[in-house]
Amino acid sequence: MTRLAAGPVFERVLTTRIVAMPAALDAARWPAGHVALRTAADEVLITPPLADARVADEHAIVLADGSFFGGWIAPALALAVLERECEWEVPHARPAFAQGMVAGLPVKLWLESERVLVLVAAPFAHDLAERFVA
Amino acid sequence: MSLQLNCPTCGRRPVEEFIYGEIPVVPDVIVDADARDVDRAFMHSNPEGPLTERWFHVYGCRRWITVRRDTRTDQLLGGA
Amino acid sequence: MNEFVERQISLAWNDPKPAYDVVIVGGGGHGLATAYYLAARHGITNVAVLERKYIGSGNSGRNTTIIRSNYGIPEAVRFYQRSLELYSTLEAETGRWVMHKQKGLLWMAHTEAGVRAERSRATVNTLFGAKTEYVTPQQVKEICPQVDITGSGVWPVMGASYHAEGATARHDRVVWAYAEGAMQRGVHIHQNTAVTGLQMNAGKVTGVQTNNGPIAAKIVVSAVGGHVTTLAAMAGVRLPIRTHPLQAYVTNHYAQSFDAIVASMNLLFYVSQTARGEMLIGAEIDRQPSYSYGAGHHFLQSCSHRAITVLPFLRNLRIVRQWTGVCDMSADYSPVMGVTGVDGFYVTTGWGTWGFKAIPAGGEQMAELVATGVTPELIAPFALDRFARDRTMADRGSAGTH
Repeated sequence: MTRLAAGPVFERVLTTRIVAMPAALDAARWPAGHVALRTAADEVLITPPLADARVADEHAIVLADGSFFGGWIAPALALAVLERECEWEVPHARPAFAQGMVAGLPVKLWLESERVLVLVAAPFAHDLAERFVA
Repeated sequence: MSLQLNCPTCGRRPVEEFIYGEIPVVPDVIVDADARDVDRAFMHSNPEGPLTERWFHVYGCRRWITVRRDTRTDQLLGGA
Repeated sequence: MNEFVERQISLAWNDPKPAYDVVIVGGGGHGLATAYYLAARHGITNVAVLERKYIGSGNSGRNTTIIRSNYGIPEAVRFYQRSLELYSTLEAETGRWVMHKQKGLLWMAHTEAGVRAERSRATVNTLFGAKTEYVTPQQVKEICPQVDITGSGVWPVMGASYHAEGATARHDRVVWAYAEGAMQRGVHIHQNTAVTGLQMNAGKVTGVQTNNGPIAAKIVVSAVGGHVTTLAAMAGVRLPIRTHPLQAYVTNHYAQSFDAIVASMNLLFYVSQTARGEMLIGAEIDRQPSYSYGAGHHFLQSCSHRAITVLPFLRNLRIVRQWTGVCDMSADYSPVMGVTGVDGFYVTTGWGTWGFKAIPAGGEQMAELVATGVTPELIAPFALDRFARDRTMADRGSAGTH
């Protein structure tokens, strides 16, 4: 049996992971050109990574996180794949963050009008890329 | 339709995105300390009806949520 | 015997009596087999089986009918081997065709850890009386030509254990065979009779309350599937049981013959062909504890995806029927049989996803316990008090999914 057609090549996406009090993350502002993914009330993932991340919480944990693979995908392709591989409703607003099971894998999405960032834990990058075909 | 849970961070999601976490409830009538340990380790209340339980959203925010659910119907109950 | 010359099944229904020596709650395979062996082996016939719906309407009518003894611990291998042997002579014993068919069972491994587990299974089985051998991928292909041993290039088959005595039987025929045999010997079976309470006197169970009134009994046996926690709680007994739904489905007719029962221990699915030619497919339990018979699309999608990886022909078939049972999963993935610490109250439960194969031995052994008052050696390791004694029978790897 042949494998599914090759999808996009996902590459390592470096991020900065900050775990801090929710109020400190609510108040924080990030430099232009960075995407901030609010993965939980007390956690944010920023890419490209921040050289000098500061939040108003002296106990904040700031980590360089290289555990994700992914890439920017054209919205038409991304939405077609999500329609097929996703059992939950993808947000309609732009920009929007969403995370959940896509094609059985734990995926994080940053949806902009002109492009969509897809992130997945490194070991699943190949499996997910296979599904990102029209 | 399979069971869906409401994650306050991520939204309404299929139960397959979560890992189950039981809240052990040892009945008060069990007083012996060893017997309470055995009950907590192995026994289950396993009710037919309302159940308060914990779920870990492993495919999303990776945080625990609390859910109330009727085990006879899988209907989510108030507050969940 | 073939189905065209079979005599009519003779089920003689009786009105409930106010009292019996033994009341068995639950008219599934385990309850009816217990009643049958009480009557047939021990001459105890003042017995009633109470079923809240109709006999075989619970898990006995919802399972995937697989019979095997390839367990991972000696106590379980011995017990299930006894059951497998009783199944192979059940048609002669009851005079009923239960469509018992030896098919052989393949448990495939796709990882090195899986290979070690299946080698170990073959060794333990051989030592304790079950016929299981370790086989190579090439032998897998010979046993079941439909298997793609490359696993679609994703999950290559690295080896398997082959359990030649693995078999199937028709589940409702097994239920009726035991019911008929028990009734012919004087056992009463009362359908549409739900137990709503237990009668207790001085810490001893003395009967049951039902929707049709009270029934006194010297001994009450719970052979309930799905609702055993609620029944046991009426006697103050706590059980190591959580009840989870298990789904299965069948496809339309597959024109070729598919002889073996094929399962993947790493991909968690199992496939066999029914007598009608449908492909019967199941997987693991749903993750939420629940008594709901709800069925979901996610299960069909993920289970089919995994099964097609190893059995590519399945992709050309259509799913025609899906159903759900509710399984009493025990804390150590082994059954719970015997005394409960409450006089007059015995349980047979914890049948999880593996209850059908245990019906004959479970019934035979529970009948011996009821008749003699002594726990038979074969089921002593599965007593409820094993958890407090730190003697759990941990065998999750053998629960498989069925």
